[in-house]
Amino acid sequence: MDEVAARLSRREFLRAAAYATAGASLLRLGPLVSWAGAAAAKKGTLSFADIGVGDPGGDWSKFTNATGWGVNLVAIGNAPSQILNVLIAGGGKGVYDVINIVGGMQKPLVENDLIIPIATSRLPNWGKDAYISEFLSSGKPGFEFIGYKGKIYGVPTVLQGDSFAYLPEKTGQLDSYAALFDPKWKGFVALEDNFTTAGQKTALYLKTNKLATIKDPANMTPGEIRTVIDFLIEKKKEGQFRVIWTSFEQAVDLLTRREVYVMDCWEPMVFAARKKGVSAVYARPKEGYLLWAMAAYIVKNPQRPADREKGAYDLLNFMLDGWYGAKITLLRGYMTNPQAVAYAKANAGDFSAAEAAEVARIHDNVRSKFRLGGTWQNRWPTYVEQYESEWARFKAAPSK
Amino acid sequence: MGTVQGSTQQITLSRRLSGIARYVLLAIPLLFLAVFFLLPLGLTILVGFFERAGFWIRPAFTLAAYQAFLGGPRLFVLQRSLFVAAEVTVLALALAYPMAYFLSMHVRPQVTRTVLLLFTVPFVVNYVIRNFSWAYLLSRTGPVNRLLEALHLTAGSLDWLLYSDFSVLVGLISSYMPFMIYPLWLALAGVDRRLIEASWVLGAPPLLTFLRVTLPLSIPGIFTALIFGFVGSFGESAVPIILGGVGYQLMGNTITSALDVLNYPLAAAMSSIVVVVMLLFLAAWYLLFDVPAFLGKIVRWRV
Repeated sequence: MDEVAARLSRREFLRAAAYATAGASLLRLGPLVSWAGAAAAKKGTLSFADIGVGDPGGDWSKFTNATGWGVNLVAIGNAPSQILNVLIAGGGKGVYDVINIVGGMQKPLVENDLIIPIATSRLPNWGKDAYISEFLSSGKPGFEFIGYKGKIYGVPTVLQGDSFAYLPEKTGQLDSYAALFDPKWKGFVALEDNFTTAGQKTALYLKTNKLATIKDPANMTPGEIRTVIDFLIEKKKEGQFRVIWTSFEQAVDLLTRREVYVMDCWEPMVFAARKKGVSAVYARPKEGYLLWAMAAYIVKNPQRPADREKGAYDLLNFMLDGWYGAKITLLRGYMTNPQAVAYAKANAGDFSAAEAAEVARIHDNVRSKFRLGGTWQNRWPTYVEQYESEWARFKAAPSK
Repeated sequence: MGTVQGSTQQITLSRRLSGIARYVLLAIPLLFLAVFFLLPLGLTILVGFFERAGFWIRPAFTLAAYQAFLGGPRLFVLQRSLFVAAEVTVLALALAYPMAYFLSMHVRPQVTRTVLLLFTVPFVVNYVIRNFSWAYLLSRTGPVNRLLEALHLTAGSLDWLLYSDFSVLVGLISSYMPFMIYPLWLALAGVDRRLIEASWVLGAPPLLTFLRVTLPLSIPGIFTALIFGFVGSFGESAVPIILGGVGYQLMGNTITSALDVLNYPLAAAMSSIVVVVMLLFLAAWYLLFDVPAFLGKIVRWRV
């Protein structure tokens, strides 16, 4: 995720990214590039709804030249309600060919008949993507980010593991989520306003350190959620937390102003803080990471002609190739696909040596996170309503 | 005779036409109100009684959403929203009224125009940027804390300046006070000076003149300012997020949160309660202040 932003949690940042994309369109930057691509598009234009992460700087020329299809990128929000509203109430089924969002949304998307299963045989790059078999294949927790009831619905476009940021100048080295709740940093801790990130990391901490009985931090029972929230409320009353942040800029600002020393956040915020001269570090917690992936889905549209459906598959395949992967890695700081590293290294015309090294570094970093493990973020847990209402209880609880 | 009859018919016809035209003109805003306000409001109230069916909703008559709201932590958010909105309105009025009074009574028109123009600046600055500016100013390492420390007024940074009730009040007052200045100034500028002079001539001291003449005549402006301040701050969602600290929420935030998990009945129930509360306040103000009577007085002064 790039240094653009808006509302809640990852949802917030992603919505922000969407705003940024929309802003670029308003400034005629996107359309200029899109029209340039469209000029070479012989077959037509695919409609690609994206939350701001999957835009390769507006340059789709490699895809257009190879397939004859142009790409019209439309910014959408990442919140589940927004996605469903866009596709159903907003008539998105008839408009969009492909949507690229944070994965794990298969249950609501499939049950509302909004996406189709992916025939992986139509994606030549699918078999080349070792990350899929390593982290996202059937039977592994990561499968929940691309599949549903044994079928594959999403193509993984980016992968990442989240933990927390800290300022070593103030705290020394930290390697546990315990830092978020350590009285030493009372009043200098910030959490994200998101029950599926902050709540789940708290659950991972409590479970790993045997402070609570939680079977699966990724899909808690109402009682387990209540336990997590009770713990957070207790800490809130003690004055542990300074703020619950809701946007990318706000989080970066908290670090750069040293308003907080320990912050539950995403890694791009650390990159942004470093660019502003703050020596922030992204922790490698012994409890593991909150793992997640973005997925691109083909929107279900029975009226879609066969050649357009092939175009949609071509676009998904393009998103699994080296150039696109390297581009997105450089733009957003996320791991994409294994071909990205090799492509960036082998194509000096497209990527400088420094850029190629950066792509390799980011991929190595994220791979090491996945090897360490942790818990996979659950975008739509079984008791999602309880998650939300309990999170509301946490927010409404009095502070110190 | 025929001519008289003809002209009578013409008059009758023109009266009918003007009557029809009046109804047509009246129908336009009524239609607008019905389509863009009453219909959505009716649907919102209706959906509040629906039940959830998977990811969607099913027509029914259940109080589940209202029970969830009134029996859960969100009720506190409603109470806080009402309290904060009232607090902001009173404080902003206490600041805005003297300013408006001074501008309308004791300042040359050119200066008044300039000052009123300056009060439009907040409208052209994006509200998110404005609130982030407050976050910077009030932060632990921000200019306000540094100034206080430099002046030896504080030994260390004051944590409560930001992410607190105080910072929310600062953000809301700075956002909504400009909305309140204008109606107050308009009301005060419209006070007939001869009435004030008559009060002086009859021997009333300045304070008594203000209390007996100026203040009562400016009540329509106060009423309008109260509505602007209260309704605006009650529905605010950006200020609590940026300046409010650990999960500080007003009603706008908690409604959005329910929508994020597709809980439309709960969001609709909360919205319905908010609208009903606001309408009750408006009705109370309307009856309490007898606005038409005051407006009628203004009209009479003008003619």
